[in-house]
Amino acid sequence: MAELSRNYRVWAYLIFFAAILALPLVGDEFWLNRVAKYLCYGMLGAAIALTWGYAGVLNLGQGLFFGLGAYSMAMSLKLSSHTSLQQGSDKPIPDFMLWNAQPGAAPDLCCITPGSWLWLPFQSQWFGVAMAIVLPVVVATILGKIIFGQRISGVFVSIISLALVLLARLVLVDAQPITNGFNGLTDLGFLQVFGAEIDPYAVSTYYIIAVILIVVLVLVRLLVATRSGLVLQATRDSQTRALYLGYDVPAYQTFFFTVSAAMSGLAGMLYVLVAEFASPSFLDLAFSVSMVVWAAVGGRGSILGACVGAILINTIEAKVSEVEQLVEAWKAIIGLIFVLAVIFLPQGLAGFAHDVMRRIRERRQPAPTLNRELRQ
Amino acid sequence: MTTLALETEGLSVSFGRFRAVDGVSIQVAQGELRVLLGANGAGKTTLMDLISGRTRSTAGRVLLEGRDVTNQREYRIARAGLGRKFQIPSVFGGLSVRQNLEVSLVRHPGVFANLRFGLGTTDRQRVSEILHLVGLADLATADAATLSHGQTQWLELGMLMGQSPKVILLDEPTAGMTQAETAKTAEIINGLRGRHTLLVVEHDMAFVREIAERITVLHLGKVLAEGSVAEIEANAAVKAAYLGTQEISEC
Repeated sequence: MAELSRNYRVWAYLIFFAAILALPLVGDEFWLNRVAKYLCYGMLGAAIALTWGYAGVLNLGQGLFFGLGAYSMAMSLKLSSHTSLQQGSDKPIPDFMLWNAQPGAAPDLCCITPGSWLWLPFQSQWFGVAMAIVLPVVVATILGKIIFGQRISGVFVSIISLALVLLARLVLVDAQPITNGFNGLTDLGFLQVFGAEIDPYAVSTYYIIAVILIVVLVLVRLLVATRSGLVLQATRDSQTRALYLGYDVPAYQTFFFTVSAAMSGLAGMLYVLVAEFASPSFLDLAFSVSMVVWAAVGGRGSILGACVGAILINTIEAKVSEVEQLVEAWKAIIGLIFVLAVIFLPQGLAGFAHDVMRRIRERRQPAPTLNRELRQ
Repeated sequence: MTTLALETEGLSVSFGRFRAVDGVSIQVAQGELRVLLGANGAGKTTLMDLISGRTRSTAGRVLLEGRDVTNQREYRIARAGLGRKFQIPSVFGGLSVRQNLEVSLVRHPGVFANLRFGLGTTDRQRVSEILHLVGLADLATADAATLSHGQTQWLELGMLMGQSPKVILLDEPTAGMTQAETAKTAEIINGLRGRHTLLVVEHDMAFVREIAERITVLHLGKVLAEGSVAEIEANAAVKAAYLGTQEISEC
């Protein structure tokens, strides 16, 4: 019985992987570019499931890590854009910095605007790529050490993370001379990988993102299947019991919180490759809350479920947005979907699929089922 | 003289002006089963909180196998060899009974050391063994949240066996149990005896008679008496404090 139940989970993953790899057969580049963004959202959904479903930590500020990843990549790509090289200097300077420059400031990245020197290392694209993961990891580790080390849990973690993402957004918008504020970073160049350009509308770019998503999902699914993953779920159910068994609970929470942050940073980085912009809207509260809705609908207890939930909802959103009358209504619709999911599918679509599989299994083997139900 | 398994020296804690535990000194020898008796508010659970690091003491010391563990964090005291069962059973509801026991076999407490799959053969055997000892073998794949109250208590006792600490604190292990369940619990606890040192808080005198060797009676945060079951039952001061007979007769 356990064999079968494990098997259908593996099959679910395999079918999903095959589906996203087969999509280029049925759609054009523009459509694939849009789907690639959804795959990035899927990675975000999986990151939410890891903390919310497995660790019981509801992060309402996941957009912070996505934003860090996105901006790190976008800064590098901004510097390699053509416009940055045409600002009257032999070194690249982002156009908005010239507009924000103090009169008489030297047209150089080191000192054109206050703090513009922060951009210097981003002239290397690999630095931008690395920072997209390193920054979320560092921030999440520090946050985790503080929050979980102080035994803060439940709704308080949500409130802190929510406040942090709003604070970060405020700083980002306020630092106009180095972040271009509300306008975000647009007009980006392409990432160069071993001489090849990552063209957002190329099929190969879609494949790169699909394969990275597959690798991440497999790694995370294996990670939660380790003993550490089991202990993490134990801390979710009873922190006290886990502590009294001698487990260093804050270390477990911090580690998985950090993994989730790294996934989000990676998602943000990949998103910039296909969307060609980074904006403060990534740090909007509404965006972070949407991620939670994706995970809730897809199933927070399942890495794959939350990923599929994110892709599904965004696909529906895109379809709905094509009908003019429904554009404004979308927020109400997504709210309704969330409420219905919470009431009727508390474990999301993944939980529903799980129940269906169990029923099929029980129909095949009625005797032990009856026994088990009676005992329960 | 061999080192004591558990020793407290003048252990005290005050909440505001209220001294919940007031200079309690007890010595529990290796392999002993000690029962803590006392009326509500006598400080039994608070004493366990102090020993296990849940509450920080304001005075006194806790020695575990001769090692000073006073006011250390819970997981450090746990690693030093202390296990605890709470009054309200606390298990991992979202995990299966078997997984609960797997988690309780703490080989490595750190997160990176546990980035591995499955259990070793000996550990798997140990889990099966415990499942049988606590009578939950048939429910191994059930979610712990679906267990009855008594079964949950046994699972928690099973997890203590898995953790296998030198000293085990049990806070009212038979609270809310039927007679049959209580009898089975006594059997499980008697099975722990000898391999572990036990400190048990219990109200049910029938149950206490079944398991106890020595009894320490707490009253208003202080040790009132200590002795064998017979001695304690005959002790006038204990009768007065625990049953309140004195006050009743004086009225």
